[in-house]
Amino acid sequence: MQQYVNVSIDGAIIHAVKGTSVLDTAIEYGICIPHLCHVPHLSDIGACRLCIVEHLVDGRSNVTTSCTLNVQEGMMILTSTDKIRKFRRNLAELLVAQAPNSRAIQDIAVRCGVKEVRYPFRNEDCVLCGRCVRVCAEVWKANAKGFVGRGKERHVDYPFGIRPDFCKQCGSCIQLCPMTITPCDGPMKPGEERLCGNCESQLMLADQTPGSCIWCKLGESFACGRYA
Amino acid sequence: MSRLNSARELEHLREHLREKRKDITTTVMVCGGTGCQASRSRVLINAVKEELTRLGLEERVRLCATGCHGFCEQGPVVVIEPSNVFYCHVSPDDAFEIVYQTIMNGKLIDRLLYVDPTSGKKVRTQSEIPFYRAQDRQILSQNLMIDPCSIEDYIVAGGYSALVKVLNGVTPEQIIKEIKAAGLRGRGGGGFPTGRKWSECWEAPGDEKYVICNADEGDPGAYMDRCVLEGNPHLILEGMMIGAKAVGARKGYIYVRNEYPLAVEHSRIAIEQARELGLLGDNILGSSFSFDMDIARGGGAFVCGESTALMASVEGKVGEPRPKDVHTVVDGLYHKPTTLNNVETWANVPAIILKGSSWFASKGSQGSKGTKILALTGRIKNTGLVEVAMGMPINQVVFDIGGGGVNGKQIKAVQIGGPSGGCLPVEKFDLPVDFDVLAEAGSMVGSGGMVVMDEESCMVDVAKYFLTFLQDESCGKCLPCRVGVGRMLEIIGEITEGRGRLEQLDLLEELAETVSQTSLCGLGKTAPNPVLTTLRYFRPEYEAHIKEKKCPAGVCKALITYQIVPDRCNGCGVCLRACIHKAITGKKQKSHVINARLCQKCGICRSECKFDAIQVV
Repeated sequence: MQQYVNVSIDGAIIHAVKGTSVLDTAIEYGICIPHLCHVPHLSDIGACRLCIVEHLVDGRSNVTTSCTLNVQEGMMILTSTDKIRKFRRNLAELLVAQAPNSRAIQDIAVRCGVKEVRYPFRNEDCVLCGRCVRVCAEVWKANAKGFVGRGKERHVDYPFGIRPDFCKQCGSCIQLCPMTITPCDGPMKPGEERLCGNCESQLMLADQTPGSCIWCKLGESFACGRYA
Repeated sequence: MSRLNSARELEHLREHLREKRKDITTTVMVCGGTGCQASRSRVLINAVKEELTRLGLEERVRLCATGCHGFCEQGPVVVIEPSNVFYCHVSPDDAFEIVYQTIMNGKLIDRLLYVDPTSGKKVRTQSEIPFYRAQDRQILSQNLMIDPCSIEDYIVAGGYSALVKVLNGVTPEQIIKEIKAAGLRGRGGGGFPTGRKWSECWEAPGDEKYVICNADEGDPGAYMDRCVLEGNPHLILEGMMIGAKAVGARKGYIYVRNEYPLAVEHSRIAIEQARELGLLGDNILGSSFSFDMDIARGGGAFVCGESTALMASVEGKVGEPRPKDVHTVVDGLYHKPTTLNNVETWANVPAIILKGSSWFASKGSQGSKGTKILALTGRIKNTGLVEVAMGMPINQVVFDIGGGGVNGKQIKAVQIGGPSGGCLPVEKFDLPVDFDVLAEAGSMVGSGGMVVMDEESCMVDVAKYFLTFLQDESCGKCLPCRVGVGRMLEIIGEITEGRGRLEQLDLLEELAETVSQTSLCGLGKTAPNPVLTTLRYFRPEYEAHIKEKKCPAGVCKALITYQIVPDRCNGCGVCLRACIHKAITGKKQKSHVINARLCQKCGICRSECKFDAIQVV
């Protein structure tokens, strides 16, 4: 039998299923927390840190990722305080500076309130969210790719760089990759990367009601409620 | 030796061993720690042994190759008991003289004695040396008496009596209560109360539990865990056994870096010896307590010192941290309750059990009890391992024990706690070595590494150095640590190359706060500390780099030029010949000139010049 616990997310008392994460609970109840590496039904690794929330314990606030935090009775969660929004904006800024050629990440950046990017753009192909690695390992039990290297050298690769036979080229990894959708105008040329800002209506919306949903491109694949 | 089946048999063995050593009149203790081994102490030990055999003294004189004595600067060091003579910088050629003069005839060898740098007098014993005088050596002093490869030495010195005490009808609650009352806090960095950790692990459900010793020490300039584990492995074993009894574990691991071959070897020997005596295994000393131990060797990743990454590594997985929303005391190694403590924390346990919590709590300050081993390194006269009672002001550590700056240079700052710690300026040196006080000042006690910097160290460069280290050692799993630290390094790099802008300092601060708050594990959370503290205490230095495009300390290569002062240069031509880039020109007996275009700023000319004629501006 399913057990339930009461948690308070942004002041709303939610009757949540025990054992689910705060992020899943919040999304199910229409409180959208930006996230990138989280995919429903896959394990959570807390890599992108975008889904950070404030967890109040004994009057102290801990900043932690909501995807890895499981609901507990009497929990107090704040998803959109000034502090959290600032951290999230800085994280999204780092992210979009790494990979401006992803519509999903551009959307997330707008959604998190990034107005300018203060770092030189790097135009990388992968943000190491690990969605592909986990879907391959957990859904298809194939383990055809994994993380290789440490720190700066970390990348996703096949074992020893060769595509193994047990990769059936099912394409799940491509399906989930946030880098596959380019911004509306197509890929940006090296040196011309910018914060997209083409979707002005979205920017305005994000401005007026910070933390509100802008129907981001990534939402389609994570079924964030709006698209369900 | 046969298996011991009861506490009484251990006591018998102790008596027997002491009886056997009754005839020994003199003990020669030669440091065999890594530092002294690098200065050929192994050869010295063999030479002394040869001399003793040749003169037929092996019966009366005991030669003991001990662990680190702490005064690595002066190595190899030799201490001769019972007169407690202290010799330093001993070379293997001195072996004959030591045996013949000092041991046989009781005469001192003048040139091997330590010279007190302040008074210039020669000093006979360790206790008269300022470096040792101000210390409170509870753990390190045990290193002196014990050959790390001999369980006999440890037993003779009273070893394993704390274990006997614990096995003698003491309940886990009582042990935990004692540790709590002692106020022992984790020595690895965080300073978490050990008693609370143990009691949470004891209360955690499940009958399969683990204890782990964290000997994955990787801070630049820190080596206290190494020396304790190398010098006295049985102490760690005993501490872990007591901890295992307290939390209800039956299996323990020592996680030690493979780059510490001596520590791996000594702990392996210690475990084998303890097994042979029945101190590890089933029904230890005839009690119902069973416990065994293994060594897990680390592959050299700094991040594996983090608890969850360490446990993943022991399990054979990639050493990456995982979110710790459920603590490792409940969900640790193999998803079982696990108590992980640092080497030094375990080393403190037997003494607390033996001497009582009030003895331990009598040392130290309000919130931090006991003693702490610090690794004193950097631009300071006396480098080495220092053990002081907590609460001692940094001043005393750096100036009284450390002896102040090298070559009379002004000391500017000290980096406490390794790369995750922070830089404290000399004005803050009245702060005590205390977990809470240092954390408030933006630094931390950490593992206890103390890198001293003088006026020739550029603080921006120091921050850059630590960030480079952390970027290399970050596992790369989470965004803020992987990308954020990289971006901070990028900004600091620009500043040191003279391309910095003032608004970047604010960005740096904002980014540092984000990284420290949002990172997944302790490495990322503390990674910005060097930047934050240098920005807080040395902001003018950053501004000088940006506004005036000058490096006040003369370190950042892009911002300095080498010049020859014409008045001081007599045209000897030493620099001209030394310059590998052929950047110096000039005629004999005439003042030379450096061609700024060709100069690579390597600094060779400056170190070669005997007249101090080459300046950095």
